[in-house]
Amino acid sequence: MKITRQLLTYIRPYRLWLAGAFLLILSTSLAINYLPLIIQRITDDCLMQPDQPVDQRIELLGKLSLLYVVIAGIGHLVRYLQGLLTAYIGQRIIYDLRLAVFRKVLTMHQAYFDRTPVGTLMTRVTSDIERLQNFVTDGVVGTLADLFMLLGIMGYMLYISPPLAGTLFLTLPVLYALLVYINRNLRNANREIRDKQAAQNAYLQESLTGMNTIQLFNREASAIQDFDEKHTQLRTAYFKEVRWFSLSFPTVEGGQALASLLILGMGGILLLNGSEFITLGIFVAFLAYVRDFFRPLSSLSEKASSFQVALASVERVFSLLNRQPDIQNNEHPIIPPQLSGTIEFKNVWFAYDDDNWVIKDLSFKVEPGQALAIVGATGAGKSTIINLIGRFYDIQQGTITIDGINIRDFDQTDLRQRLGYVFQDPFLFAGTISDNIGLHNPDLTTQQIEKAAQTVNAHTFIDQLKNNYNTPLNERGEGLSLGQKQLLVMARTFAQNPELLFVLDEATASIDTATELLIQDALGKLMQNRTSIIIAHRLSTIRHADRILVMRGGELIDSGTHDELIAHHGYYHQLCQLMQHQA
Amino acid sequence: MVWTAQRREHINQPTAKIMPYVRPYRREIIYTTIAVLVAVGINLYLPYLMRLVIDGLTDQALDHAQLYTLLLRYFLFGLTAVVFSRLLRKIPLKLSHKAEYHLRKDIFAHLTRLDASYFHTQRTGDLMTRLSSDINMVRDAIGQGLLQGIRTIVVLVFALIVMLLTDRQLALIVYALYVPMVIIFFLILRVMRRRQKELQEQVSELSNFSQESFSGIRCLKGFALEERRNQQFEGLNQGLIKKNMLMQATRQSLWPFMAFWFGVGMILILNVGGRRIIAGELTLGTLTQFIQYLLYMQWPLLALSWTSSLYQRGVVSWGRVRSMLDAEPKLTDTETPQTEPLPHHDIEFKDVSLEIDDRKLINQLSLTIPTGTTLGITGPTGCGKSLLAALTARLVDPTQGEITLGGVPLQQLPLQTIRKKMGCALQEPILFSKTLEHNLAFGLTQHEPDTLAWATEAAHLTNEIEGFPKGLQTLLGERGVTLSGGQRQRTAIARAIARRPEILILDDVLSAVDTQTEAAIMQKLKPIMDQRTTLFISHRISTLRYADRIIVIENGHITQQGTHQELLTQPGYYAELHLQQNLQQQLEGDA
Repeated sequence: MKITRQLLTYIRPYRLWLAGAFLLILSTSLAINYLPLIIQRITDDCLMQPDQPVDQRIELLGKLSLLYVVIAGIGHLVRYLQGLLTAYIGQRIIYDLRLAVFRKVLTMHQAYFDRTPVGTLMTRVTSDIERLQNFVTDGVVGTLADLFMLLGIMGYMLYISPPLAGTLFLTLPVLYALLVYINRNLRNANREIRDKQAAQNAYLQESLTGMNTIQLFNREASAIQDFDEKHTQLRTAYFKEVRWFSLSFPTVEGGQALASLLILGMGGILLLNGSEFITLGIFVAFLAYVRDFFRPLSSLSEKASSFQVALASVERVFSLLNRQPDIQNNEHPIIPPQLSGTIEFKNVWFAYDDDNWVIKDLSFKVEPGQALAIVGATGAGKSTIINLIGRFYDIQQGTITIDGINIRDFDQTDLRQRLGYVFQDPFLFAGTISDNIGLHNPDLTTQQIEKAAQTVNAHTFIDQLKNNYNTPLNERGEGLSLGQKQLLVMARTFAQNPELLFVLDEATASIDTATELLIQDALGKLMQNRTSIIIAHRLSTIRHADRILVMRGGELIDSGTHDELIAHHGYYHQLCQLMQHQA
Repeated sequence: MVWTAQRREHINQPTAKIMPYVRPYRREIIYTTIAVLVAVGINLYLPYLMRLVIDGLTDQALDHAQLYTLLLRYFLFGLTAVVFSRLLRKIPLKLSHKAEYHLRKDIFAHLTRLDASYFHTQRTGDLMTRLSSDINMVRDAIGQGLLQGIRTIVVLVFALIVMLLTDRQLALIVYALYVPMVIIFFLILRVMRRRQKELQEQVSELSNFSQESFSGIRCLKGFALEERRNQQFEGLNQGLIKKNMLMQATRQSLWPFMAFWFGVGMILILNVGGRRIIAGELTLGTLTQFIQYLLYMQWPLLALSWTSSLYQRGVVSWGRVRSMLDAEPKLTDTETPQTEPLPHHDIEFKDVSLEIDDRKLINQLSLTIPTGTTLGITGPTGCGKSLLAALTARLVDPTQGEITLGGVPLQQLPLQTIRKKMGCALQEPILFSKTLEHNLAFGLTQHEPDTLAWATEAAHLTNEIEGFPKGLQTLLGERGVTLSGGQRQRTAIARAIARRPEILILDDVLSAVDTQTEAAIMQKLKPIMDQRTTLFISHRISTLRYADRIIVIENGHITQQGTHQELLTQPGYYAELHLQQNLQQQLEGDA
């Protein structure tokens, strides 16, 4: 019930349009189903009136024929318009929903993305939404259209000949029940096919990736046998589907034949008995109705069994939409003007899950304009620190402040606009080089973008590309080396002109020395006049820092300048030695 | 990986044929044809019965008994038509599923014969698509193609004949209407398909955009791009409405257009025929019969266009499916393989080079591993050390030089024999989603619980297995237990040694195992390695030191070789690695 109500909130804005669509459906049904009535009149008044003068009959025939063409033309045109309108309404509703889902996903918290595979999110935005669209257009509107069509035919039938109509209606419940039964079995068979197909595909996927292993262990024969087992099950499921599928059309055909038979029988007997209830025209008109009578019936029976599948999708979409983001914006955020750039951690504790503390009681302070390097072995919690400042995750205890303001009191978007991140695993968007630097920021001019690229030494290689700044890139940035991608990402960060800068530097083996020098130079320029935190894995990067924090197992164990720390002859000294050897 | 250069050699002349998969069902095809003939025949006969009833009633020549006889005939024929109408669907569709089954079965069996280089040139996802949706497409083209093809031809031919025999003039009207209808219908469908394709492109653009946004969420949030992304998404979404409505504009027109056209046909028949009825030249029954034929011919029109597109797609899919069957294994047994038992299990590389993708990955490498000794192999990532394992197991043949086992060139030994002698454990082992026991006994032909117990003990796995509630019957994979990286590697070791192989290949199998467990495993593995010829590939000095001899490979060459002690004293990769790992250990040790 809650689902229906929620669905209605998306449908409500289009209620007038929908009313229009129903009006069109109604007119279609009235117009199209009027046609056999004209046939009846042609038969009775023109063809079967030997007593009337021939000219008159032919004239009437012409008039009625023209009427037929006009009404048929209007009826089918309206039907076409109704189809278009319904499709359009469905598109609009889905447009709103798809947008809502996409927006919702983007507001979700980083931890949500960590545990939800991209594939699942994609299913919500694509196939689930599509099913929802079918549910609205084919399901809801389609059902009403079918019902109106059926009711229209039944109404005209009753109007022309109640006894004949009554006889025909008797077949309805039986046929409908039969069709629903067949379609339900068909749907079950289809579900079984999907299950078996999934099992077979899982096996195939595993065998294909593990074919080397299968061959190394001489297991080819048993792999073929295992596959055959799953494959045979799939074939059996398909046979079941064929069994029910091959019943569905013939049942409708049988229904039509039965209805024709009833008309022939009932009508024939009435005519033979000289009843006044029936004429040959009525007889012919009914035979024409029979064809259209069963079409809505069979499509209704199909829909009855497909509702459940659609509902499952609707539920998934709504449960995503109704999710509360774990990180909430402060209702009255503080939006400070220019930041001076003091970052302070006070007794911060953080765990990604439960009690596995990644950061333990961490306190430190970065003064405006200072460059701070954080070093430590893998898993020491270094990169977590910069994720916490951007509020990608919320800390469990302690406070993080920027210029004395708790980061929870910032507006999230505003906060992140002030921060700049440089990752060494560069993420590129599909689009031009210029888009990737400017990020579609309307405030950035072409000159500023080029200026940014020049500053971080990216201009030279961009200039050598065929279309310079308009060179299109795909997501993986094919055609660019890793070093070039890193320079590009630095240009991006520089162009956005963040107030605070975070650099995640990882020792990457595949960058040549020349590019490496360019990157180090660019890094220096990026950090100028900005409070920066660098997660350093290389000595060359550490040299940019004014102060160094040494982390180990989530705890701060030492801090100071490079020379001070080396003089301590402790952990830092060892780390430096290792870095020297890894370079 | 690097195997792409060999792709070309896998594409031979297309030889695989589809007919062998359909031909066994000649009888079914004949049955289908008979069913179609009967069903169509009756469906053309029923309107004739209608005509008899109507004409009888018009002339008042019919009495009750005659009417009942006609009705009974109508009922019996109608019932028969339903039965045959079901058969004409059931037989060809079932046939198509049988053909599909045999086709996929053959392909899978064929795939098990293809070698590593094939699987490296093909993406698994691609193979999966060909094995599922492409084969399904071929199946539909066969099944629906037979069904609709036979039916449409029979309906069109027989209806024409019957109509011509009944009334020439009316028959000509029907056909005069039908032909332009078919043409217009095809034209609309063509436009529709084009727009459908455009719509599909827009849909994939939108899903690519979403995919990019979701996988790049970190970057997106880092630059606070949410609002801009939303706007771009909105633009794409709007494009989707436009493309969708363009498609709908053609799609929605199909049915009303057809219905209107047939309505016009009906009124034409009523007019032309009606004038003749008024003139007394035609009966109302005949007219009704014709109207029934006209309505009956609606479906074949739809089927015609549908079947043709189904057939086109089927042909394209078959091309993709066939390429799998046409791929030939590159590594095959010689015609007269050496089947004598081998005197010993020395492995010898003689001037071996391996060139892939025009890159020399192994360069004139020579080495000997005497029976019962362990060769440690190390070197930087990508130096070619894993290729030595692949060459030894004959997963790939050298471009130059020769590898011998027990003095016999590998190429002259049957592949089955080589592999029976080997136990391989690789760095990222593939385990199968079955029980743990199934995975451990993967290389065994019989049920040998003692061997399994011994092997799991040697791989230091016994305690963990006992910790699982279901022990050896524990299910692995998505529906069962997910093993840690170290557990997977140790399972692979146990799987390799359970075969009691003459040659043991361990490719970096302890990389995910912690240092203490590593020492315990090496203690247990050492005696097992001592009994066999072993290739031991590793990055860790702590495990390499157990080897009798160690080689360092850099850029496809052996740059250093000797015992652990000897290499420590030489300046070079090995000593540097040793220093680095010592430093790292100190850092960890202090923690």
